[in-house]
Amino acid sequence: MQSSPNMLTKFESKSSRAKGIAFHPKRPWILVSLHSSTIQLWDYRMGTLIDRFEEHDGPVRGIDFHPTQPLFVSGGDDYKIKVWSYQTRRCLFTLNGHLDYVRTVFFHHELPWILSASDDQTIRIWNWQNRSLICTMTGHNHYVMCAQFHPTEDLIASASLDQSVRIWDISGLRKKHSAPTSISFEDQMARANPNQADMFGNTDAIVKFVLEGHDRGVNWVSFHPTLPLIVSAGDDRLVKLWRMSETKAWEVDTCRGHFQNASACLFHPHQDLILSVGEDKTIRVWDLNKRTSVQSFKRDLDRFWVIAAHPEINLFAAGHDTGVMVFKLERERPASAVYQNQLFYITKEKHVKSYDFAKNVESPPMLSLRKLGSPWVPPRTVSYNPAERAILVTSPADNGTYELIHLPRDATGAVEPTDVKRGQASSAVFVARNRFAVYNPANQQVDIKDLSNSTTKTIKPPAGTTDIYFGGTGCLLFITPTTVVLFDIQQKKQLAEVAVSGVKYVVWSNDGLYCALLSKHNVTIVTKTLEQVSTLHETIRIKSATWDDAGVLLYSTLNHIKYSLLNGDNGIIRTLDQTVYLVRVKGRNVYCLDRNAQPRILEIDPTEYRFKLALVKRNYDEMLQIIKNSSLVGQSIISYLQKKGYPEIALQFVQDPQTRFDLALECGNLEVAIEMARELDRPNFWNRLGTEALAHGNHQTVEMTYQKQRNFDKLSFLYLSTGDQEKLSRMAKIAEHRGDFTSRFQNAIYRGDVEDRIQMFKEVDMYPIAYLTAKSHGLTEEAESILEACGLTEDQITLPSTEEALRVAHPIVPTFKANWPVKAAGHSSFEKALLGEVGAVDEEAGADVFDLAEEEQEAVLARETLEDEEEDASGWDMGDDVNIEEDAEFVNVEGAEAGAGSSEADLWARNSPLAADHVAAGSFDTAMQLLNRQVGAVHFAPLKSRFLEVFKASKTYLPATSGLPPLVNYVRRNVEENDNRKVLPHIPRDLETVANADLQEGYAAMRANKLEDGVQIFKRILHTLLVNTVSSEAEVEQAKKIISTAREYILAMSIELERRSIPTDSEEGLKRSLELSAYFTIPKLEVAHRQLALMAAMKFAFTNKNYSSALSFANRVLANGGSTKLLEQARKIKAQCERNPQDQVEIEFDQFAEFDICAASFTPIYSGSASVSDLFTGAKYQQQYKGTVCRISEVTEIGAPASGLRLFVPGQY
Amino acid sequence: MDPFSAEGELLNIHNAFHSGQYQNVIDFDAAALSSDNQLTARVLKLRAQIALGQASEVLADVSGEEASPDLAAVKALAQQTTGDAEAALQLAQDLAENYPDNGTVEVLAGTVLQAQGRSEEAIALLSKHQGNLEAVALIVQIHLQQNRSDLALKEVQAAKRWAQDSLLVNLAESWVGMRVGGEKYQSAFYVFEELASAPSTSAPLSIVGQAVAELHLGRLPEAEAALTAALEKYPADVELIANTIVLNVLAGKQTSDLESRLQQAQPSHALLVDIQEKSKFFDGAAAKYSPRVSS
Repeated sequence: MQSSPNMLTKFESKSSRAKGIAFHPKRPWILVSLHSSTIQLWDYRMGTLIDRFEEHDGPVRGIDFHPTQPLFVSGGDDYKIKVWSYQTRRCLFTLNGHLDYVRTVFFHHELPWILSASDDQTIRIWNWQNRSLICTMTGHNHYVMCAQFHPTEDLIASASLDQSVRIWDISGLRKKHSAPTSISFEDQMARANPNQADMFGNTDAIVKFVLEGHDRGVNWVSFHPTLPLIVSAGDDRLVKLWRMSETKAWEVDTCRGHFQNASACLFHPHQDLILSVGEDKTIRVWDLNKRTSVQSFKRDLDRFWVIAAHPEINLFAAGHDTGVMVFKLERERPASAVYQNQLFYITKEKHVKSYDFAKNVESPPMLSLRKLGSPWVPPRTVSYNPAERAILVTSPADNGTYELIHLPRDATGAVEPTDVKRGQASSAVFVARNRFAVYNPANQQVDIKDLSNSTTKTIKPPAGTTDIYFGGTGCLLFITPTTVVLFDIQQKKQLAEVAVSGVKYVVWSNDGLYCALLSKHNVTIVTKTLEQVSTLHETIRIKSATWDDAGVLLYSTLNHIKYSLLNGDNGIIRTLDQTVYLVRVKGRNVYCLDRNAQPRILEIDPTEYRFKLALVKRNYDEMLQIIKNSSLVGQSIISYLQKKGYPEIALQFVQDPQTRFDLALECGNLEVAIEMARELDRPNFWNRLGTEALAHGNHQTVEMTYQKQRNFDKLSFLYLSTGDQEKLSRMAKIAEHRGDFTSRFQNAIYRGDVEDRIQMFKEVDMYPIAYLTAKSHGLTEEAESILEACGLTEDQITLPSTEEALRVAHPIVPTFKANWPVKAAGHSSFEKALLGEVGAVDEEAGADVFDLAEEEQEAVLARETLEDEEEDASGWDMGDDVNIEEDAEFVNVEGAEAGAGSSEADLWARNSPLAADHVAAGSFDTAMQLLNRQVGAVHFAPLKSRFLEVFKASKTYLPATSGLPPLVNYVRRNVEENDNRKVLPHIPRDLETVANADLQEGYAAMRANKLEDGVQIFKRILHTLLVNTVSSEAEVEQAKKIISTAREYILAMSIELERRSIPTDSEEGLKRSLELSAYFTIPKLEVAHRQLALMAAMKFAFTNKNYSSALSFANRVLANGGSTKLLEQARKIKAQCERNPQDQVEIEFDQFAEFDICAASFTPIYSGSASVSDLFTGAKYQQQYKGTVCRISEVTEIGAPASGLRLFVPGQY
Repeated sequence: MDPFSAEGELLNIHNAFHSGQYQNVIDFDAAALSSDNQLTARVLKLRAQIALGQASEVLADVSGEEASPDLAAVKALAQQTTGDAEAALQLAQDLAENYPDNGTVEVLAGTVLQAQGRSEEAIALLSKHQGNLEAVALIVQIHLQQNRSDLALKEVQAAKRWAQDSLLVNLAESWVGMRVGGEKYQSAFYVFEELASAPSTSAPLSIVGQAVAELHLGRLPEAEAALTAALEKYPADVELIANTIVLNVLAGKQTSDLESRLQQAQPSHALLVDIQEKSKFFDGAAAKYSPRVSS
């Protein structure tokens, strides 16, 4: 017995003898009941033991999952049937009644029934809902080894050691247990006359057929899922196939082959196959139609006891002496090859089909490969040769065969190929236009063949080669269990080798530069010269992979589609409900083949990997584009950016002050860090900010942080090192205030202030040191007064000899006046891109250099002046000191706390990302920045009045003390709020005013034919909305609607105004006028207003004898309806025009085509032709206007990259 | 005894001054007052005159009496009001140094210092006060102008402990309330409304306060009614005009007339100065942007 190469083991467990198996219908779970009394619940996909259930006493033989509920049932040698919940992980109840071992238990597919077979010679049906025995079937006169429900009908099949198989009709039982209304008269008659009652008068279940044919006891019996077939397995080593009709049942055939007791058997759920297992340690597969053995699998030591099939997936499980194995009969990976926009694949019927990615259509079958290999073995690979339009197919049947077939010109149907070249090989791939390589593992040899199938060259691959793959033009990849080797066929030379173990598939990128090596759990990306680029590990099995055009690898595992960038960054794109094999990525579509070899298109969101790719490639425009168009900014992206060393980019996305602070520190953006530290205002943050600022040489910030932390010592030292004498003396004062003598001493030393030191020593009664200090500094008077105070004379004291007192160095450079030239925390190019400044980068860099030079000059100058002053420094110092003394009166110990706070206007700007709020706060520059980013605003002059209006309305003036200016208070829109972090300004002219007042005013101007005014009014509406806020998402929509209305009106009015300005006396002018009057009818105005435009156009066309156009306008007027007078006119003109529907003047206006009007040139833009639009207004323009100011809004730049107007922040109100 | 307490004879003139009824202060019959209070009353009258724009008369009035620190302080204030800032500052600083304990000096010199932006000096001088409510109010105002409503609130709460019902404390609390917002708007409104509705205290000052509170509460029609009525009565009051401008902008109405009126009455008003400044700022900021392609 040889084991079949096609049986693919997916999972194996080690345990004691497995007697029962059940697949979960949906989850990758399998229940195994063991001879040792344990029930195991395995996840066969992950290979993990999920749970164990141990309440049975003795072997557990029967096990079954409920098809829908979280339940399972088990039956064992303790005569008990137990029903369990795998959710609560305990036994719910026990059904007692059997008097001997329970062999099998099964749930009914829809009724709340459990079927059990027992050695007590009975078959019983239990209702697990009311936990009662509802039927006992007697008749077998030996152990009943197996009993199963029919999958659809009211039948039961049972197998017994009495050598018989019985079929039972349980329709009576069903009727008894269903609603009585459905009982017909005949049924009642039938039930009243139980003429077929068995010897016990039982009519619920009656024996329908007794199947006799086995010579020994029968161990197992199974129904066919759809056909009236039954299969049984017995101790006579036979597997018997039975057929039944309504009235009789008979033996069809016998499958002979097991040479020991056959323990179990079943029908393949989808294919015409029978599977059986036996104590001869084999699993055998039989052809249902021919009853011949198809394949078999043998274990060395373990007898098989049971087999089960997954109800849906192509999976089986068999239990044996030392555990369970889950396996597939065949590979489910459809063989496929991709060439440009074509996918060639082989269907389950072994038809060759192609699929066009461009058109998304599937071709009819082109070829039938029915004769390739054995009928039950699908082809393994296909390789396509576009030059010859040929395919190379391999099949693992007969130790590997290949066939070279030319595809027919047109796909006409599943024809048998005529000209076939074949040979022995496990793999075969095209390596050139007219060459292919085949690998035969039997003789460990690779043959290069031409298209007539004759060998031109022979290569000895490295030992242990398992597979070969295309390796780039003229090259092959040899796969060995531990390495991949790149081999040049021409030179017969090994070019490169990379150590990657267990490679199963090789996927080349579209440009042929990279290649992904897939093994069971690893993806390794290598270059075309096999240099390893990255590798990643998956716990779930990797199934397939394909490359995006941008060089991103997409791969599928059993349940996910994931991506991997070249650098190894990977992530999940989407989950899969069934396993698929990826073949191609195009935009948001992933093309794949499912296990039925059907092409499928899966939608994916490529945003995340595109963003990461753009980041890696530093393609900031693309990133900007992505940020604008998607809501990808989540925690994961932020942490990704941070992790990857792009904190400055992450900073752009974060709102949370603490994260912002961290990021700002990381990228050295002190401004932001300071701002955030202020907001957070906790010592920890100040401390970190201080450290960072110190590293930057930004000592002004350092000073501030020390102040915030009340770190007096550090402050003093900072002042000393920056040479800020004034502040230093203030520190001395503060130390005095605080009564901190150490600090005072320190400060006095720093300042070289001998008097203060002496004073301090005196205060703390350290006269000797005070004296010593005075003496050594030559302050004789002071020294004497100390002596006096102590009542001593000079000769009573011996002094050590002192050298000249140390002089405190004077600062040469006034460092404290300004920071060291700090590296400009310049915007990263990404930030610049955000600000739309990309183009200006170079200039700015130039400017920076210039600035620096200037700064240096200044520094030199400053130094010079200072050195001049140095000479009379002593006199200067004295004066300074006196001043300080005076000032010091006001030194506030609470230094850090005093000083002005930030005004509410500043808070507004801080609290809101909306431009209007920044305007109200008077922060026009940031507002402009926001508008520039959001809508590409570049020409702000028209917004000036709106800016000032909003600003004007932001505060009130409350007179307080006479003689002083009034107190300014800030008008909030959230009146109830008094939390500083949430207050926001009131923005005048809210959406309601715009909708109710301004818009109506605009309409009135339209009606009154005051078009110049109208244009101004609608532009004002646009400007008002541009700098505004709304209170809900619904209002955002409303605002957008008003914007587009305003756009249409401005466009319409501008067209009409243009028309009026053109004299119609020339032919040119007349033609243009006619065109414009026609275009005037295109913008989407209110119907009443469109009627005005149509009437005008109609009359104008009519008077100029353009009857065809006039007719179309008239028709449109009539279609719109309205006042009778209007319609009457239209009807008249229509009547007139219909007589002669010709245009006198040919104009560019196609009344039937869909088009927009370019708002600059007033020419039509037909749908499909290229155009640019303005992001804010949505107005369309001819391409050449890109980059100019939008004619409609007069503010925004046409086609500028921008993120969209923001008017609303959820949670702000 | 505190001359401003409920029993004190100066209560009326004092309240009249602080509720902005300056004419009543000037017309107040001071002859009946005790000699101790004569000077205080005179100072108040002079300050009322200054408030009404008669600073030069006041200067003439006090000339030659600078020996009295009180009158010298009045002079400093008058100088400040007439625009002689340098002299006013000099005088105020001298006074602050020499008579830091004089209540009038504290308040008036403090006002002058604050008006010149020397807030720290002003606070330092004012914090020497001994139970002078005017000083407290001024401190509160200075804190608010420095956007330190937290400190202002502390000051008010401290003052409330010893001068619960005083008009000035109520006013100062309302000032703070208008900054804090939320529920405090409403309590501030009550204070101003009470003042504005009683004929004995009604004046532009309190009406403006009431209207501003209403405006902050989002009750525009009420604010408008109050302001329109007041403007008819006091057409030249700059704060009335300024706040009416704000109100009209909020209500979406034209304001150019009012703005020119304000321009005439007080070209240096914060509203106008701010707008001018911002207008320039706008032009500067806007100049940084330009379309990629000029059309």
